[in-house]
Amino acid sequence: MIATRHLSKRVDTAAGPLDILTDINLEMQLGETVAIAGVSGSGKSTLLGLLAGLDLPSAGEVFLSGNRLNDLDEDGRAGVRAELVGFVFQSFQLLPGLTALENVMLPLELAGQRHAQDAAAQLLGRVGLAGRLQHYPKQLSGGEQQRVAIARAFVTEPAILFADEPTGNLDNVTGERVIDLLFRLNQDKGTTLVLVTHDEHLAGRCERLIRLEAGRVVSDVREAHPA
Amino acid sequence: MIRWGLSMRLLARNWRSGEQRILAIALVIAVAASTAIGFFTDRLGRGLVNQSADFLGADLVLLSPRPVENAWLGKARAAGLQAIETLEFASVVVGGEELLLSSVKAVQDGFPLRGRLRIAPAPFAADVDTDTLPGPGEAWVAPRLLTNLGLQVGDSVEVGAHALKITAVITFEPGQARDPFGMSPRLLMRMADVPATGVVQPGSRLSYQYLFAGRETDVAGFRKWLEPRLGPSHELVDVKGGRQAVGSALERAQRYLGLAVLAAIILAGVAVAMAARRYSERHFDMSAILRCLGASQRDLLGLYLPQLLVIGLLASAVGSLLGWLAQFGLVYLLADLLPAAPSVTTAWPVLAGFATGLITLAGFALPPVLRLKSVPPLRVLRRDLLPLPSRAWLVYGAALCAILAVMWRYTDNWALTLSVLVGAVALVALLSLVALLLLLLSRRLHTRVGVAWRFGLNNLWRRRGSSVSQILAFGLTLMAMAVVALVRTDLMTTWQRQLPADAPNHFAINILPEQVAAFRTFMEEAGVTTAQLYPMVRGRLVEINGAAVRKAVTKEARSDNVLNRELNLTWTTALQADNHILKGRWWQPDDSGKALVSVEAKLAERLGIQVGDELRFAIGEQRFTAAVASIRSVEWESFRPNFYMVFPPHVIDRFPATYITSFYLQKADKSLLRELVARYPAVTVLELDRMIEQVGRIFRQVALAVEYVLVFTLLAGFAVLFAALQASQDDRLYEGALLRALGGSRRQLRAGHLAEFTALGALAGLVAALGTECLSWVLYTQVLHLEHSFQWLLWVITPAAGALLIGVAGYAGTRAVLERSPMLLLRNQ
Repeated sequence: MIATRHLSKRVDTAAGPLDILTDINLEMQLGETVAIAGVSGSGKSTLLGLLAGLDLPSAGEVFLSGNRLNDLDEDGRAGVRAELVGFVFQSFQLLPGLTALENVMLPLELAGQRHAQDAAAQLLGRVGLAGRLQHYPKQLSGGEQQRVAIARAFVTEPAILFADEPTGNLDNVTGERVIDLLFRLNQDKGTTLVLVTHDEHLAGRCERLIRLEAGRVVSDVREAHPA
Repeated sequence: MIRWGLSMRLLARNWRSGEQRILAIALVIAVAASTAIGFFTDRLGRGLVNQSADFLGADLVLLSPRPVENAWLGKARAAGLQAIETLEFASVVVGGEELLLSSVKAVQDGFPLRGRLRIAPAPFAADVDTDTLPGPGEAWVAPRLLTNLGLQVGDSVEVGAHALKITAVITFEPGQARDPFGMSPRLLMRMADVPATGVVQPGSRLSYQYLFAGRETDVAGFRKWLEPRLGPSHELVDVKGGRQAVGSALERAQRYLGLAVLAAIILAGVAVAMAARRYSERHFDMSAILRCLGASQRDLLGLYLPQLLVIGLLASAVGSLLGWLAQFGLVYLLADLLPAAPSVTTAWPVLAGFATGLITLAGFALPPVLRLKSVPPLRVLRRDLLPLPSRAWLVYGAALCAILAVMWRYTDNWALTLSVLVGAVALVALLSLVALLLLLLSRRLHTRVGVAWRFGLNNLWRRRGSSVSQILAFGLTLMAMAVVALVRTDLMTTWQRQLPADAPNHFAINILPEQVAAFRTFMEEAGVTTAQLYPMVRGRLVEINGAAVRKAVTKEARSDNVLNRELNLTWTTALQADNHILKGRWWQPDDSGKALVSVEAKLAERLGIQVGDELRFAIGEQRFTAAVASIRSVEWESFRPNFYMVFPPHVIDRFPATYITSFYLQKADKSLLRELVARYPAVTVLELDRMIEQVGRIFRQVALAVEYVLVFTLLAGFAVLFAALQASQDDRLYEGALLRALGGSRRQLRAGHLAEFTALGALAGLVAALGTECLSWVLYTQVLHLEHSFQWLLWVITPAAGALLIGVAGYAGTRAVLERSPMLLLRNQ
């Protein structure tokens, strides 16, 4: 589903070139739940960005469902994302100008699907926000906003879901509920979940745990009994 | 492809949150200014042309020494024009025992085609408009003719072999204003009576004048047809050429209106650009999310461009409507002054308004909005990532194209448009540099001022990139406002100087030398101030540097009227107040009696006369030579006696001279003229009061229009101020909240903001003063042909106004923010 070969990312800084990621080789299967863990600055968000085609590597290759992202231009990668990928972010990234319903409809509209409204309303119902369809993000609590974001991520039934510190902006209780929801939906839809976190407990709920240190994979472990 | 509906939903949402309001408002101002001025200048232009046509008696006059082909008149009539023939000739008329050379005009029904004759029952009595003409066998005459011949209305006068009965006194004749001097008194009669006079013989000196009037386009069409058919002896006179004073006022006014609208549109454009930039920056996140969700660049354009288009169309519609209403307001205000012009019929100004709106939007708002499509999707993870800045050539190129398009519309002249643009770019570059230098200087200063000022100046320096662009934006805005206001004041002053309330409105000529003292006493006793009495000797210019004058001058100058007639020569010691020596020198006391002459500048240029040239004059049978001592500019529009050739005293005083002067007389004192003419029968009084009144009225109209347009420019300027303040508000808000969270008091922050904005305004004011000096110099010398002088006051007023205006506005803008909880602001970041 997802594969990288000799993936590296190097940026130029005032103090000279800095390697953020070095020689990352990974394969992730369909339906797998994978946590990418590491301390701040270990390169996990950069890796997520490269896997999702939001950025291009300095060296190496990324394959997403057979598409070699290196070969695609920005619009081509956007096309792949539209078809295969959903996102959940730490800062929710809802569009403030749209209601909860409209935010969830957005990916469907981008894909040119009819009946976007029904599908979106249904999914919002499943995340427990049936009564909040017409609320704007500002009018929702952090947990509610993240649930809208999760509904938006799943509404296109993507093959892969990338989550970047999805509980980072939430308190423990709310975070736990949001994660439950995320995993439940993931299981129902059979999605490949790639979750970036520095939260060990959250990482432990995934089937597989990849640890990064200073831009290198230091361990890649499949847990026997994931959440 | 994102659906249109989503785009419109976002638009509605953005609109409710006020995001695009300033952009739309700026656009509305640009369109309203353009439309109102379009409608108004159209209407004013037509009104003024009509009034000027009243002077001329027609829209177009063809002068010819011989009758022209009938086919020409036929062509004019076929083109939908009115066309009539009039004939002017000089003839000695006889009344009782007296003879007088008079200027006879024979007219047909329909004369005049524009304007109206005014007549009175007796000389200097109250006059009225009339649509009639003298009947067959009748004549209307100038008051002078009656007084000089000792006749009264009702008496008979002989023109050639034909006796005509005088039935009225003419006080105003359209067309005569073209040349109020050097003319014998008028006698108006019927064309049908001309053959009976027997005056028109082969070889007689005649002037046929063909008057044409009709719709503007028809007149223009006919003119185009006629021009190639004209011979060297033909002369075409139109409304603009008909009256120099009005013509130049009109032209300046039109240029001014164009300039002011241009300034308004460019300012509005700057406001649009700033608002669009802010809009764009506030949509980086959204674009990144959309990209992340798989939107292509095309999708993003499909989302943003329709919003822009709809805003453009709506703002243009509102602007056009406002412009249309504003124009009505103006017409209402000027109801007494504006002639009954045909009601507005063209939709052209509305179309032009829409074009202005869309062009402004495309030129100023498109580049920042296009930038949205290149927002990197990775920004969802790393907020510091910005899209590549729009390419400079795209931003400035688009704006330049928009300005070019708009400017070309107002100037209709590519060379002018391009040169102005090149100058503008150079000016902006210079001012940017100056802004940076000023910032550096203020940085030096900052250690010597209080805490608040240090905070403010530090802020400016820290954001120097945006500070420079803000200083520039405010500076250019203040500059545009200052230039428009300055030009307005100078235009008004020029017109007022040209036509002060007590401008001489009467001329007395043919005052005999022995009567000069008595005449002066007479006028003094009557309480009337006269200008200096100038001696006048009639003479011809015959040679330049020893060569016959016709051979000495260029081919084009050979037909110059000055060479074909006698000139009025004078002498004086003091230079007239409105004359200026351009080359050479004015008389020194010991020049008295020396054979020197001072020549009027335009004549000197036409005839190629230089300082030091020897000019030979013929006065009667005598000839004498004088060396050119100076070239002198003359304000011919001032209605004071002026001369082509001025000598020092005791050079031409041996020749017979009469004296000329001008004076101001109120309407109520007109009876004085009767007494004057009775006491000095030889003196001729020329009444220019009606004409001057009319010129004054036109000036007043134009002045009002000029002030009206200024309002639009100021409004656009305020839109820029507002947009610029808003553009930097987000940063300031965040920073302010942070500082407050760190323990800064509101008072400290407020004082800091006040200091920052005041400094920003003052620096912008300095930049504006420099820009205004440069720009006004170019405008005055190249476009408006006004005198330019260094405006020291400007260097005080603009920085002060800038500091006050921007200080207060910025302070007010950030004040509300300080009232809000810092928590709220930080959380929203």
